[in-house]
Amino acid sequence: MTIRIRLAVLACFLAAGGALALGAGPARADYPEAVRQTLLPGYADFRAATADLAAKAAETCDPAALAAPFNAAWDAWLEVQWLRLGPAEDQGRALAIAFWPDPKGMGAKAQKALIGADPALLAPEAFAQQSVAARGFFSLERLLYPATPLAADTCPLIRATADDLARMAAAIETDWTGSYADVMLTAGAPGNATFLTESEVRQALFTQIATGLEFIKDQRIGRPLGTFDKPRPELAEARASGRSLRNVLVSLQALRAMTETLSPNAPQTLAAFDHAIQLAQALDDPDFSGIADPSGWLKLQILQQAVDATRQKALSELARDLGVDLGFNAADGD
Amino acid sequence: MATRRGFLAGLAALSLPVPSWADAGSPEYLAAGKIGDDFVLHGLDGSGATLFTLPLPARGHAAAAHPTRPLAVAFARRPGVFALVLDCRTGEIAHRLTPPEGRQFNGHGAFSEDGSLLMTSEVVAEGSAGRVGLWETAGFTRIGEWDSHGLGPHELRRLPGGRIVVANGGIETDPTDRTLLNLDTMRPNLALFSAEGALLDLAELPEELRQNSIRHLALTATGVAFAMQWQGDPAEPVPLLGLWTPGAAPVLCPAAEAEMFTLQGYAGSIACAGGRVALTSPRGGAVMIFSETGAPLATHRRADLCGVAPLGTAFIATDGAGGLWRATPEALEPLSRADVAWDNHLVPVGLTA
Repeated sequence: MTIRIRLAVLACFLAAGGALALGAGPARADYPEAVRQTLLPGYADFRAATADLAAKAAETCDPAALAAPFNAAWDAWLEVQWLRLGPAEDQGRALAIAFWPDPKGMGAKAQKALIGADPALLAPEAFAQQSVAARGFFSLERLLYPATPLAADTCPLIRATADDLARMAAAIETDWTGSYADVMLTAGAPGNATFLTESEVRQALFTQIATGLEFIKDQRIGRPLGTFDKPRPELAEARASGRSLRNVLVSLQALRAMTETLSPNAPQTLAAFDHAIQLAQALDDPDFSGIADPSGWLKLQILQQAVDATRQKALSELARDLGVDLGFNAADGD
Repeated sequence: MATRRGFLAGLAALSLPVPSWADAGSPEYLAAGKIGDDFVLHGLDGSGATLFTLPLPARGHAAAAHPTRPLAVAFARRPGVFALVLDCRTGEIAHRLTPPEGRQFNGHGAFSEDGSLLMTSEVVAEGSAGRVGLWETAGFTRIGEWDSHGLGPHELRRLPGGRIVVANGGIETDPTDRTLLNLDTMRPNLALFSAEGALLDLAELPEELRQNSIRHLALTATGVAFAMQWQGDPAEPVPLLGLWTPGAAPVLCPAAEAEMFTLQGYAGSIACAGGRVALTSPRGGAVMIFSETGAPLATHRRADLCGVAPLGTAFIATDGAGGLWRATPEALEPLSRADVAWDNHLVPVGLTA
């Protein structure tokens, strides 16, 4: 009886996030840990980093001075960008934060109308109503790293774009701490109409890991990689700011961290991540311009294969450990 | 006052009762699914509760419900070499349909209003030229076929009055493995036929959208709403919903700007109810609701959502994790949950099917 009560208390304690107290025993890993140890800190970091960027932009519009907070904010976004559910998906926020890939150049077109525009359009409420393509990191990148010098004064637009990023980051974090974290943590409880079972949360996070790896492989690497005969380095993500490789690396690290927090039993998946991360760290080609050369192209292709191998490993090992799959219809439509 | 003719007719009915859907529990919907490793066809009531579960020999795609008799035609997934006519009272296979040599079923079928004719979407295996297969329903024998006037027809629907609309997806597939063979030249269309199979109208998409495969249909007040699957660059936002009133050009209905990639270029099912259109995407994990003129009203997210059908003036939707949902512009609310991975489509039973 006493033991049973103690166990119940311990279970509650663990459920409340007290795993640290258990010095012995294996580290607990499941979705509550993923929410508390990875996602909530990730969104808090993103909020803080975009606030820093906006504060610095209020002081100066000098691209050199803004480079550090700009890169720190983008790094922080990559920690959480892969999670395409919850508050970041509301009101098109994730799209507005990072509108890429953009094969038709919608972002540049939409932004053009805002350069030197009526200041009223740049006021926070009005700016938030602008096209998702006209906002976010890629818009800021075009202003801070222009291919050709911009004629008009871009400072007001730099400030408006940085403020808008900070506003969205704050709104996302507020929604997470205010409600969405609880929605995940109360999966299966009566009245929870988002996650009907605990397994659905694991399935959702697993799907996002698999989709995140696919995005790195097909978009971040696949678009510039093109074919051996026709590499397309000009299609690399964040090329102007020289972040193409960094975006691959940081997003791989973020997905690895999530995998490790979600499951203690996926050593092969983690090893595959480590291999891909090592390849990315060893690659000396920040904006992928080196892929115009055959040996550079092959190196990026090897990295792409490592990312794909990581995804395949996650689809087998991690899925099995979590007791989930990619979704009956999503995996095989008609 | 009873007439002699009426009396005799009543007598005939007594001596040879015609089975109806009531004999199968009066299901409102049919849905294929998977339980463990087994494939099944469920009959569901309007609250999402299961009325019957019938075994299927393999994964099903869509079903077609006979307008009056408790018969469901379960189509195999593409490329389909069989369809089964199931007696929903007993689960026994009443008839087994095999397409003629060199033809393959393509996932959908529809009955004529009086139930005497079954029409099936088919392709000529080599080249994917579309056919509408015709089967009489007393013994389910093949009685003929029409040219569907396009490649890779998928869903076909009967309009009130008996005309038929076929969604010619435009895709040529390898007859053995579904590999897409003509992405550079594909050109989907909507074809309207008389009840006798005469082509009455044909609508195509603008050139820049010719890689938008038209696959699924729902009836609107004036024609059909159609759901598309984009085969072009996934980073290009394209409309996945269209509205077609025969005689006019199709109207394409983009999603709200903030939701332009939510469905991930893939609409899995479509339904119309209460003057609105619902479009699902299992890949995007969402249902999007539009007005009858194509204005986006709402987006609700739910993983692996695909099947959708009218529920009064609202919608009922199914997902791959066993959830059944009630969808309105205001909310997506759980109706019930079963340990069944619901498959692509939820098919209403009854005259409007």
